[in-house]
Amino acid sequence: MSTMTAGPAESTLAAADFDALSGEVTEPETIAGARAAAWERFNALPWPTKKSEEWRYTDLAKVGFEALTPVVPAPATAEALSADVREVLGRSGERAGVVVLREGRVAHLELEPEVARSGVVLSSIRDAADRHPEVLKRALLEAQPGPAEEKLWSLHLALLGGGYFLYVPRGVEMPAPIHAFHIVERAGTLSSAHSFVYAESGARAAVIDEFLSDDLEAETVSLHGATITGEGGAGIEYVALQRFGRGVKRFSTQHVTAGRDSSVVTFNVALGGDLSRADVTSRLDGPGSDSEMLALWFGDSNQHFDHHTLQHHAAPHAHSDLLFKGALTDAGSSVFRGLIRVDKGAQLTDAYQTNRNLLLSESSHASALPNLEIEADDVRCSHGATIGQVEDGQLFYLMSRGLTRRQAERLLVFGFFDEVLGRLPMEGVRARVREAIEEKIGL
Amino acid sequence: MSEPLLSVRGLRAKVDGEDGEILRGVDLDVQRGEVHALMGPNGSGKSTLAKVIAGHPAYEVTAGEILFEGEDVLELEPDERSRAGIFLAFQYPAEIPGVSIANFLRTAVNSRLAEGEEMDVFGFQRTLTEKMEMLKMDPGFAARYVNDGFSGGEKKRNEILQMAVLRPALGVLDETDSGLDIDALKIVASGVNRLSEADEALGVLLITHYKRILNYIRPDRVHVMMAGRIAESGGASLADKLEAEGYDWLHRAVAAV
Ligand SMILES: Nc1ncnc2c1ncn2[C@@H]1O[C@H](COP(=O)(O)OP(=O)(O)O)[C@@H](O)[C@H]1O
Ligand SMILES: [Mg+2]
Repeated sequence: MSTMTAGPAESTLAAADFDALSGEVTEPETIAGARAAAWERFNALPWPTKKSEEWRYTDLAKVGFEALTPVVPAPATAEALSADVREVLGRSGERAGVVVLREGRVAHLELEPEVARSGVVLSSIRDAADRHPEVLKRALLEAQPGPAEEKLWSLHLALLGGGYFLYVPRGVEMPAPIHAFHIVERAGTLSSAHSFVYAESGARAAVIDEFLSDDLEAETVSLHGATITGEGGAGIEYVALQRFGRGVKRFSTQHVTAGRDSSVVTFNVALGGDLSRADVTSRLDGPGSDSEMLALWFGDSNQHFDHHTLQHHAAPHAHSDLLFKGALTDAGSSVFRGLIRVDKGAQLTDAYQTNRNLLLSESSHASALPNLEIEADDVRCSHGATIGQVEDGQLFYLMSRGLTRRQAERLLVFGFFDEVLGRLPMEGVRARVREAIEEKIGL
Repeated sequence: MSEPLLSVRGLRAKVDGEDGEILRGVDLDVQRGEVHALMGPNGSGKSTLAKVIAGHPAYEVTAGEILFEGEDVLELEPDERSRAGIFLAFQYPAEIPGVSIANFLRTAVNSRLAEGEEMDVFGFQRTLTEKMEMLKMDPGFAARYVNDGFSGGEKKRNEILQMAVLRPALGVLDETDSGLDIDALKIVASGVNRLSEADEALGVLLITHYKRILNYIRPDRVHVMMAGRIAESGGASLADKLEAEGYDWLHRAVAAV
């Protein structure tokens, strides 16, 4: 353990040094060391600018990082579930456990006793660093972010400490998902949380991460990272349901590694916040692996959603299928930029990438940039993107039954989204996501 | 006579932004509780009339008026006309993938509630089940996406199902009989008759090509549309004459005018 001495309680990112950043946090050496290195790296790297392809449509210079108060999560506490969390849980299906994070700090963590008995581990990242240092190091602390991700990834790691660790041992199948709540309460902060999901060979894991806050007056940034790893034959379902309030800018970097014959589904839903960016990488690491990447977003007022994806086929005989759909109204804007990369040795790759956008207003705007980079010669790959409006014939049909134009448009958005929702394997998770979307879209 | 349910007067309409008139002075009154058949050759403007009554934005009305229960509806949006009680069973209903019939109809019923009024979810479910039984529809039908991959007959039945749930004052049925085999035709016709029995004030404008459906739904009046006008009106026997003699005699009569 290393204990940092207390620095000034609150300081801005611009003024923070590492000690000040850490306050009185007590943490395992592995974490402290990784954080210190990441902090150094963060300070050494330049901010990505709009000149880079990856950040062309989302200007980081417009985010006031320097003025934010960085938060390194305090040690875990065991609080009772708050009313807002209980309310959502009451309306959600079965679950294997619950995690509540507040600005990254673990405030509540519970795992069904039966699931715990089967060998499943659910803990804070700090506890995992003590008990499962090897896997944490390999999958998370030593992970290599892409060049465009590195600045924010370093900042994320520098603030690491909270977040949860889910480990499902060989052959164990979770009967229901872990429901995790990432709650941001303090305006003007910069906080970070990590979702660590690891399924050993033949294991099944499922998680729904729900991100929420009230509408916050001051600009607030929430960083998030997810490390999702499936060993041979594992199955993982991961859902990130982002429904922050206004004022929040959110950056999530998600790394999926799919081992031999494993199958991983990721589903990102962006509904809230002022700005929501997700960088999702699926690495098809073992032959026969399968990655399904799904996303939905609905943006209104001046919300901006940005999704970057990489389907990296590093092994032969793997399959990946991406389907991202977004709908925008008012002055909402969105970006999809996706790349299928097939390494030289990844013969017999099957990879698909589709992005569809529905614009409901004149001043909404979507950019779609699907891309391929193929070095193998025996592959099946396709990519495509569309940006369109609702069909007049459908609109008239619905309105002729009494639906207002707004109701008709919104119902058509539901119809548009349904194809993606239908691909979520777990019914309970699907119902929760559908409900959250309904709440955002309104009818 | 009391004020008609529907009164179309001197109606002229064309496709918005184009020149040629499709409706060239249509006059038609439908009283409460009456069934009117509107016949006529392909391309004479029957569907256009139906869509203009429902408020389709593709058409521009250049002259005349449409009064529904005495009120001019030309300035009303399609949804306002629907909530006022006008229902159009489409000749070619739109397909809405991803939206189930149940969800769609629930939203449509909801749209009719006053501000703050709560929908009776169980009541809705009961009505839907009952109407589906009346139309001999499989219970699983409500979960299917609206018209998505439906056969012609299923689409037509779905139109009548919606009419049965929404209970309009006026039903404009545009070729709801075409593409139906005789069994399906009987089911649809008896569905319409049941709605008429349940609501004696229900007015129906039944657009059809064939006399066949008129064997099951007795019209009070029959009209023939030719080249954008009502060329002839009469009692139910007019349909027999059209069946026996076709439209040629009317073509000649119209040409002679
Ligand atoms: N939206 C439209 N755009 C162009 N032409 C149209 C449109 N709607 C109707 N028409 C034309 O108007 C005429 C009447 O069509 P319609 O009302 O469908 O006839 P009916 O239903 O009697 O067969 C036809 O010549 C048809 O091509
Ligand atoms: Mg027609």
